[in-house]
Amino acid sequence: MAGKMVVFCGSDAPEKAFPPFMLGLGAKAVDMDVMLFFTMSGLNIIKKGGAEKIALDNAPMPLSEFIKNSMDAGIRFVACSAAFGIAGMTKEDLIDGITIGGVASFVNEAKDADIQVSF
Amino acid sequence: MEFDITLDCLGLTCPMPIVKTSQKMKELSSGKVLQVLSDDEGIKEDMPAWCNTTGNEFLGSEEEGETIKVYIKKT
Repeated sequence: MAGKMVVFCGSDAPEKAFPPFMLGLGAKAVDMDVMLFFTMSGLNIIKKGGAEKIALDNAPMPLSEFIKNSMDAGIRFVACSAAFGIAGMTKEDLIDGITIGGVASFVNEAKDADIQVSF
Repeated sequence: MEFDITLDCLGLTCPMPIVKTSQKMKELSSGKVLQVLSDDEGIKEDMPAWCNTTGNEFLGSEEEGETIKVYIKKT
């Protein structure tokens, strides 16, 4: 494994929702371990039916397809449990394949990551 | 330039050419040369960068109209 990248996905704004998957796939293409941490309105990205509501003109592919490709590539998805209430959701609202964590999960992963990015 | 196999990435934008290159290179044995066809301008910087990170060899690129042909060798 050639290092690790963690990405903090804290917004469902289209300009912030797409780049984590683009970067993540790029990092997987050099065999890095990749973890995406979703919190605040970023949780809407991984809510059932959520990605379909986030569109970006001329994006390489729809957000839902980015999510599927990222999961297929082995990118790990972690949802912040503390922000469920803020985002008005429960864990049942999440798409399949998401790990539920908290700040300790993020800190533990980020402290030994080679790249940390925040959106 | 001589090559063993072609990967058609025409119409695909970043990061897909790199993602597909990475997948294809896993199938190749050491010493084989892959030709990647792309019309994404970014490939000219991205492919040498990808090779630098992964340790594969960037052999060069050619342009034919909108099509960029890059050649990389699996180490």
